[in-house]
Amino acid sequence: MDQYAVEAVNLSKAFGGVHAVDGVSIAVPPGQRRALIGPNGAGKTTLFNCLTGSMSPSAGRIMLFGKDVTSVAEHRRTAMGIGRTFQITNVFHDLTVVENVLLALQGTSRRKWVFHRSMDFFRSNWERAGAELERVGLAGRASDTVGSLSYGERRQLELALALASTPRVLLLDEPASGLSPGERKRIAEILAELQREITIVFIEHDMSVVLGLADKVTVLHRGRAIMEGTPDEVKASREIQEIYLGNV
Amino acid sequence: MNWILQALNGISMGSLLFLLASGFTLTFGLARFINLAHGAFYLLGGYIGLSTLRATGNFWLALLAGGVSIVVVSYFCERHLFRRTRDNHLAQVLLTIGIVYVIADIALLVWGGNPLRIPPPAFARGPIDLPWGIVYPRYRFFLIVFGAIVAAVLWVIYTKTQLGAIVRAGVDDREMVDALGINVHRLFGLVFGLAAFLAGVSGVAGGAFLTLYPGAEWDVLVLALVVVIIGGLGSLGGAIVGSLIVGLIDAYGRWLFPEFSYFMVFGPMVILLLFRPTGLFGRET
Amino acid sequence: MGVAAKVGIGCAGVLALVLPQFLNTFWISLLIQILVFGLLALSADLLIGHTGLFPLGHAALLAVAAYTTAILEVRHAIPTLLAAPAGVAVAVFFSLIFGVAVRTSGVYFILVTLAFGHIVWGVLLRWSSFTGGDNGVGNVPAPTFGPISFPTLSSYYYLALAVVVVCTAAYRVLVRSPFGLTLRGIRESESRMRALGYNVVAHKYAAFVVSGLFAGIAGVLYIYWNRFVSPATTTLVISAEATLMAIIGGTGTIFGPFIGSAIILVIRNYVSGFLVQWMTVMGLVFIATVLWAPDGLLGLARRYRARRARDATSPDMASLPKR
Repeated sequence: MDQYAVEAVNLSKAFGGVHAVDGVSIAVPPGQRRALIGPNGAGKTTLFNCLTGSMSPSAGRIMLFGKDVTSVAEHRRTAMGIGRTFQITNVFHDLTVVENVLLALQGTSRRKWVFHRSMDFFRSNWERAGAELERVGLAGRASDTVGSLSYGERRQLELALALASTPRVLLLDEPASGLSPGERKRIAEILAELQREITIVFIEHDMSVVLGLADKVTVLHRGRAIMEGTPDEVKASREIQEIYLGNV
Repeated sequence: MNWILQALNGISMGSLLFLLASGFTLTFGLARFINLAHGAFYLLGGYIGLSTLRATGNFWLALLAGGVSIVVVSYFCERHLFRRTRDNHLAQVLLTIGIVYVIADIALLVWGGNPLRIPPPAFARGPIDLPWGIVYPRYRFFLIVFGAIVAAVLWVIYTKTQLGAIVRAGVDDREMVDALGINVHRLFGLVFGLAAFLAGVSGVAGGAFLTLYPGAEWDVLVLALVVVIIGGLGSLGGAIVGSLIVGLIDAYGRWLFPEFSYFMVFGPMVILLLFRPTGLFGRET
Repeated sequence: MGVAAKVGIGCAGVLALVLPQFLNTFWISLLIQILVFGLLALSADLLIGHTGLFPLGHAALLAVAAYTTAILEVRHAIPTLLAAPAGVAVAVFFSLIFGVAVRTSGVYFILVTLAFGHIVWGVLLRWSSFTGGDNGVGNVPAPTFGPISFPTLSSYYYLALAVVVVCTAAYRVLVRSPFGLTLRGIRESESRMRALGYNVVAHKYAAFVVSGLFAGIAGVLYIYWNRFVSPATTTLVISAEATLMAIIGGTGTIFGPFIGSAIILVIRNYVSGFLVQWMTVMGLVFIATVLWAPDGLLGLARRYRARRARDATSPDMASLPKR
């Protein structure tokens, strides 16, 4: 293996005087499932934002498949193969479920600039959208507006949007948060079924999801990466238990 | 010599703009409210001040009446209309434009369509002798002094007092201030009231050298908006700096390129926005 | 589209074709105005209803097209076949410049477009050597395409109607295309769109320029109707009314802007005939729309139908597009 799928090198992000991310280095080889855990405020989402490009770091570099993308715009990084979900569900509220997925599908395609043909013209698109909805279990809700979806269904849609652009690197920000046990199980199943080639970095608080899916775990605390290891190693670590104070 | 005279013209104009823009920017900064009726407040305050002056002959009373009457109007609008828009800026824009229509129409009915000038008070008539042999209209000089005093007082309150600290905190993070137990509604009321008072007062002050006329509610609004765009929404310091910049450009523009003076004012704004979309001291909304 | 809607459009179409035979010039003139400003409102609605941007300077784009065509026809005797496209081209040129406003976010965008509109007004007013200042440009001849000319109000009505129908059809294709869906995605969540790979600023800019194209066409239609243009055409008031027309009729729809145009223009031109305080009425309509019908008349109709079918939420400020 000669390059990492996604890498942060000495990354820092400061807001005013506060260092949300403080000199974090993390390197994820292709195909790995990496869990990112840590107490609230540890800087996990901020790290994600720097990786995807929605925020620019104060210091450090970000690499995507060996290329330095630190100054590359967010939408270009997506075209290069990075996809993400948001911690607070960020879907298109006044559009239908299938329109949401169609937008995700055409995001990295030239088709998004076509202005003289109706959306109906692109048959293959609709079929693919159907398949994506099938995958997350929303096939029956295709023509409903997002407004009528339950919280759990919106989280499913959130995941579908990230998957639809066939990313090579998938960043999931608490994909299971706020879901019922049944819904959590389904999310875990969907993630487990994803192709092995896809690199997944996910932020999670639910240890069962972490243990079931993660190859390796990175622990963040107060903006610093304080430990890296297998799920069992991290679970056994006294230091980590103290930090969480029983959150696990 | 002319350069200095135009600079003074610019500063006096900036002074007036500051009176108007400061309230607008603070109202936005704290309550996230775009009040396009601010120009109409200026005009109505000016007209009411004029009527008061005609009735009593007292300029200071006219200033007071102009200010207080707008506080009343603003209170009524805030209580029954503004509140219903919450954080929806488009709603605020359309609502306040509707209010402008109504105020402008009433003003037209009561005071007519001819430009009216407010006669300056006795002490501010005629010229004043300034250093370096400059002779300048007394009233404009008074405006510069008045504006500077208001700016200084506001600045001190804003940066040095606890009330100012609370307002600044509110501009920064409204939810936090609310969570700290501070009565946010009363704070809003205070800032809205102050903004309204200044708008009305500026109408009286401006009416003495700009005249009051139908359409002024838009002309001054746009200038105040340029001040706020350049200075940054929500920033008092930005309002001070922006007012001076716009006032000076307006004065020099009218003198050097009268046909393009508008362009001179808005040109720098466009260029600034290309590099700093939130103005000099503004922040992301 | 439901059967009722199709029947409604059919009736409207028949009326539109037949009505002028029975109306006097005042009403035909009003109908033309409704078409022209409806098109302006439609152009603004591409931004408001579909992209989530609120422009307050579109009257300026209409005006520069009108002035260009007027000056070319009156002072340089350029024929309509060239003067009309030139007018549209100038409007597009201006929207290429004004379009930089899309780099600013919500609130600033409103203020910046407002300011831009005012620059145009100010220059049109002050640069009197070129624009005629307050006196504007008048005596514009009837539109003439070779041997065919449209000298009467009635004949011009049909020309304007044809142009507006074609524009509206093109607009409909546009909003139903992938590009149209992209704009609606931007309206809903810019951050999501960026994360999905869209260059949001580029799309907004493109939308602004297309909007300017339609506004320019409206401007050319305007000048051949009015035969005169002055700075009064480009005030903030007119831009605000264009925005309100889109909202009052129902944003994001095809016919909403025209419905709104009809309402606003009837107040402005007809109500003003018998009510001195017509501006107060206009202001109250603004206020009432914002408070009670934020997604316009078509939105009210939609909600009424939904309420009859099942329980629906009551109208609130959330319906108005935010930002």
